[in-house]
Amino acid sequence: MSNDDLKSQPADPTRRKFLLTSGSGVAASLVVGYVPALARDAAGEVDLAPTAEGPNIEGAVPITLRINGREHSLRIDPRTTLLDCIRETVTLTGTKKGCDHGQCGACTVHVNGKRVLSCLNLALMHDGEEITTVEGLGTPDAMHPMQAAFLACDAYQCGYCTSGQIMSAVALLKEPCGTDDASVKELMSGNICRCGAYSNIVAAIQQVRKNV
Amino acid sequence: MHIFEFIRPTDPAAAIAAAAQSKTAQQGADVRFMGGGTTLIDLMKLNVETPDRVLDINRLSLDKIEDTADGGLKIGATVRNSDLANHPKVQKDYLVLSQAILNGASAQIRNMATVGGNLLQRTRCVYFRDTAMSCNKREPGSGCPAITGHNRTLAILGTSEHCIATNPSDMCVAMAALEATIHVQGSKGSRVVSFGDFHLLPGNTPHRETVLEPGDLITHVTLPPPVVGSKQLYLKLRDRASYEFALASAAVMLTIASGRITHARVALGGVGTKPWRSPEAETALAGKPANDATFRQAAEAALRNAKAQSENKFKIELARRCLTYALKMASMS
Amino acid sequence: MTETSTTSPIGRDTPRVDGPRKVTGLAQYTSDFLFPGMLYGVPVEATIANGKLLALDTVAAEKMPGVRAVFHRANIGRIFRSTPAPGFDRVCEERRPPFEDDVIQYYGQYIALAVADTFEAAKAAADAVRATYAKEKSNVEARLEAGHDPDVVFTTYGPVPREQSKRGDPEGAFASAPVKLDETYVTPAETHNPLELHATTAIWDGTMLTLYDSTQGVVNARSVLAQMFGLPKENVRVISKFLGSGFGGKLYPWTHVPLAAAAARQLGKPVKLVVSRKMMFQSVGHRARTQQRMRLGATREGKLVSLMHDYVYHMSMLGDYHEDCGEATPFHYSVPNLRASFGRARRNIGATADMRGPGAVPGLYATESAMNELADNLKMDPVQLRLLNEPRLDESNGLLFSSRHYVECLNVGAEKFGWAKRNPAIGSMKRDGLTLGWGMAGAAWIAGRFEAAANVQLRDDGTVRVACATQDIGTGTYTILAQLASEKTGVPLDNIEVELGDSALPDGPISGGSLATSSVIPAVFKAADQAIASLLIIAVTTPGSPFLGHKPDDLALEGGRIFVKAEGPGKGVPFGDLLRRANARLVTGSGSAEMTAFAPNPKFSKHSFGCHFVEVTWQAEIARLRVSRVVTVMDAGRILNPLTGRNQIQGAVVMGIGMALFEETIYDPQNGAPINSNLADYMVTVNADAPPIDVTFLDYPDKEINELGARGIGEIGLAGIAAAITDAVHHATGVRVRELPVRIENLLV
Repeated sequence: MSNDDLKSQPADPTRRKFLLTSGSGVAASLVVGYVPALARDAAGEVDLAPTAEGPNIEGAVPITLRINGREHSLRIDPRTTLLDCIRETVTLTGTKKGCDHGQCGACTVHVNGKRVLSCLNLALMHDGEEITTVEGLGTPDAMHPMQAAFLACDAYQCGYCTSGQIMSAVALLKEPCGTDDASVKELMSGNICRCGAYSNIVAAIQQVRKNV
Repeated sequence: MHIFEFIRPTDPAAAIAAAAQSKTAQQGADVRFMGGGTTLIDLMKLNVETPDRVLDINRLSLDKIEDTADGGLKIGATVRNSDLANHPKVQKDYLVLSQAILNGASAQIRNMATVGGNLLQRTRCVYFRDTAMSCNKREPGSGCPAITGHNRTLAILGTSEHCIATNPSDMCVAMAALEATIHVQGSKGSRVVSFGDFHLLPGNTPHRETVLEPGDLITHVTLPPPVVGSKQLYLKLRDRASYEFALASAAVMLTIASGRITHARVALGGVGTKPWRSPEAETALAGKPANDATFRQAAEAALRNAKAQSENKFKIELARRCLTYALKMASMS
Repeated sequence: MTETSTTSPIGRDTPRVDGPRKVTGLAQYTSDFLFPGMLYGVPVEATIANGKLLALDTVAAEKMPGVRAVFHRANIGRIFRSTPAPGFDRVCEERRPPFEDDVIQYYGQYIALAVADTFEAAKAAADAVRATYAKEKSNVEARLEAGHDPDVVFTTYGPVPREQSKRGDPEGAFASAPVKLDETYVTPAETHNPLELHATTAIWDGTMLTLYDSTQGVVNARSVLAQMFGLPKENVRVISKFLGSGFGGKLYPWTHVPLAAAAARQLGKPVKLVVSRKMMFQSVGHRARTQQRMRLGATREGKLVSLMHDYVYHMSMLGDYHEDCGEATPFHYSVPNLRASFGRARRNIGATADMRGPGAVPGLYATESAMNELADNLKMDPVQLRLLNEPRLDESNGLLFSSRHYVECLNVGAEKFGWAKRNPAIGSMKRDGLTLGWGMAGAAWIAGRFEAAANVQLRDDGTVRVACATQDIGTGTYTILAQLASEKTGVPLDNIEVELGDSALPDGPISGGSLATSSVIPAVFKAADQAIASLLIIAVTTPGSPFLGHKPDDLALEGGRIFVKAEGPGKGVPFGDLLRRANARLVTGSGSAEMTAFAPNPKFSKHSFGCHFVEVTWQAEIARLRVSRVVTVMDAGRILNPLTGRNQIQGAVVMGIGMALFEETIYDPQNGAPINSNLADYMVTVNADAPPIDVTFLDYPDKEINELGARGIGEIGLAGIAAAITDAVHHATGVRVRELPVRIENLLV
């Protein structure tokens, strides 16, 4: 059982959510020498500071990113994409790298409420802007309606494209889009699901749109 | 990615002054303006673009869409593609432009890509995009492996023995048909470039793609006043249904009176080394009855000078069908 | 068809138990695990496909800021070979360890590895390494010829003779057959392209190696890496908690895995290596290109008299992977004279490997296309031709099928699709100004089990934990294990913890062959039974227990409560209460079950079956082809979770649309590179291409597989779909495309 499970676990076992261990804690102690991954806090972030010596980044520049309502004052290599910055520096790994060239949609996040590809953005371009990642939409105990619809409709398989799909789907709610499935499918075509869960993705989005 | 200095100029003059120090505004530029980043960051990751300085122009207030005094439209260089496509006046008067943009890329990329950046969109030729390969556009004189290699998606119009790279833009095809004007500010002042003059054919200098010189900043694009009664359509043909560059596309504008075509503008995409305005097709349409025979003749005329490579002969017929059908559907709209 | 109680979770639409994590971004895939001091590795790729590496200039790269090291042959340290073992152990498709020699066998072969503090620095350093080669002409020729092939090739599932199946006199029967078909079908090289990039993070602690690895087989990866680093298996731990799918490409370790481990060993820090999308086309396997000659002979009434399936596939210079296109050929239809044989063509390409439905998927494209063309030649309905040649038993070995309902699949599919309304005349059917094409094809895939072990814990808080070192590749294995544990204990899914993807757990199967689900069932059930048996001993021995004086056999566990069978569950006690009374935190049971797939002396022929009916629309004036409707019927045993099961099959059909219409890895003739090595140029199906897909499961349990009669369904949905699509294309356009993918240029006539 991972640390975050322990933290988030309500006292009443009958109300407890499904437990899924992430490789640390009890199971980790089975093998000597195992290095556990660091626990994530409620915002989904990891504190790398305690033992990290801090990467040696020559020419690093300061930047303040506002992600999911939290300010992050960072020093980064100017080459760092918004995607790599969110994942590796801010440690929010819900946003995924699938192609790194704007060809799959897995890295979709919102900047000032609009969906963009974080792999084709430099982090420096977004100093001070409002960035939202999948972690900012909801948590397992308090899901965004789109997250809940994806769960109910089985709108994924492996789950790797799912963050990007959901970020696109949530943005789509505010975009000009016809009511029919074909319009949704066209506007969701920038998010590749190699597992092919497209029918269920459309069903989830339409379910949310009907209720909005 | 090559290390670079990231600069956010405070006004256009500072941006232009900084960019004017670049050796070139073409392939190999050591100073680059950064708009949406959808082309530039992609190519920087591939080391196809290796600027020493990157100038972020997103906060220069070039993001307005405004009516012009003559009834046309002024579109700022950093207006996002999605904002342009969904603008009420564009949807009403310049429908072909809205359709072209919405047929391009994905919703996310359209939210990022700028008008100015789209004018400068680079080819998707796989040899250009891979620095391990030879490419006359990337390294003049190194050769063109596409001519004897994988060229299914490459150009059939405007090619040279040095380069057959396709211009991939959808937006530009519509702007060519709309006869847009590009407004440039440079270190020597500002100037206007008509759309047809902006992009260059590869010829012997495929590394030169536009008329831009170091320091030139595209500030905005203007569209002429809408043509009254113009029937417009953008049709894009590709392998899959979405999120793919065109194998062939057509932007058409027709004005028809009493069954005859009184005004025609035609441009093709996915087939040319630049956004391909077709005066041949326009001539074939002008004054003719708006019927299938005329449309097919226009398409024949547009592709008369097409030259196929080993894998893309089909694009000639595909482009003909694309244009014929676009004209037909526009005439019926 | 179910025998379990109405409260059983088996066979119910069950949302994924890991779903809340997946939709909130908290599911941790390999590259999401972060460690203090972690470094980033980026490999340097060879830019020739054949030749020798003469020199490497790493000076500039090493001087770059943030760079810790540039590794190559001289400084990487020892990496040993992993050698084949019997069965599914120590499997990897590229046996040569990275940097073992200076011979370049394929474009993109790793020749160095840059490691730096940041990804940006590591990438820049990798790009700055300069290599000098002695380049030789590379052969990536698409047209295939059989080479000097061994008489027998050795595969993970046993030896396969070059003439892999033969009965009767196929040549003679073909020569005298009144109706014949002789055509060659080609499938291109395809790249798996799971959306998750292959990734490995390696951590050393003394002689202990921990690998977070995007693998479909943690147990196999442990064996391979232990041998590569000369370690006892106990010193290696492989973790794969969430997998961004793999489609076979992540079954076995590729060369980046030992590279990450070796770099971490040399630097004494965790090293993360994420393979780029471009590298995914070069160095982590692909589905072989195949060229398959089909000869079918039949009577005028449509009874098959001869079937010859002679195929050639391409393979790398180093590998030994067998693309078994003849897998389903010998048993699918009744035919007295048959031959399936193969040849191999070596190319300067990366290794070929299993890809979703390996062998059978390209094989069935050929055999089912040939059946459709034969039906045309006979002027017979293609469904009718199949019904006419339905076998009573597996004619390749004389065994009865454990459970075969192919005829029902065809009938149900035809009915649901409305096949009876098909006008066979080319281009004759129209809707909304579009020409319709209707086509169909059959499908088959292996069934059976791998070896598997699991354990089940019942805990004093009333929760259950079930653990197995298998993985969830996206097929819903977490949920299946929760369902199985719930079925046995009556504990609701919310109170069941599932742990997978860790080689420290009881050895589980690879997520491959569509065998994981069928394999874990008996292991989990046995483990649960053993845990319950322990619990019942506690019940009859613990002071103060209400069950003192009873024998364990008198008791039972249902709905999470222990009770006396004779008294019924009404007076039962929650097992957590009893454990607390006994001051026992938990009881654990272990279970295992043996491998039955590919067993030497099977009693039955075990396979899944199915069929697809496809509608395409064709708009000739703009050469636009789209798949508009698919009906798929599957005879794949009992379906444990129809919600995820339908999704699996729909997803396979979506991939099949890609196989039929879009996907092809193209090798550049000049330098041997996979030239379309990205997701813009190697096209996969997008949302707008995916039509409505109506999936029906016949749901007949196959009790020869396991006690629930469940088989896996990860692969069969992709079998046959390309043949059904090309048949529909022919019906609409009159063009028979025999080389995939169908492209606009094929139809622009």
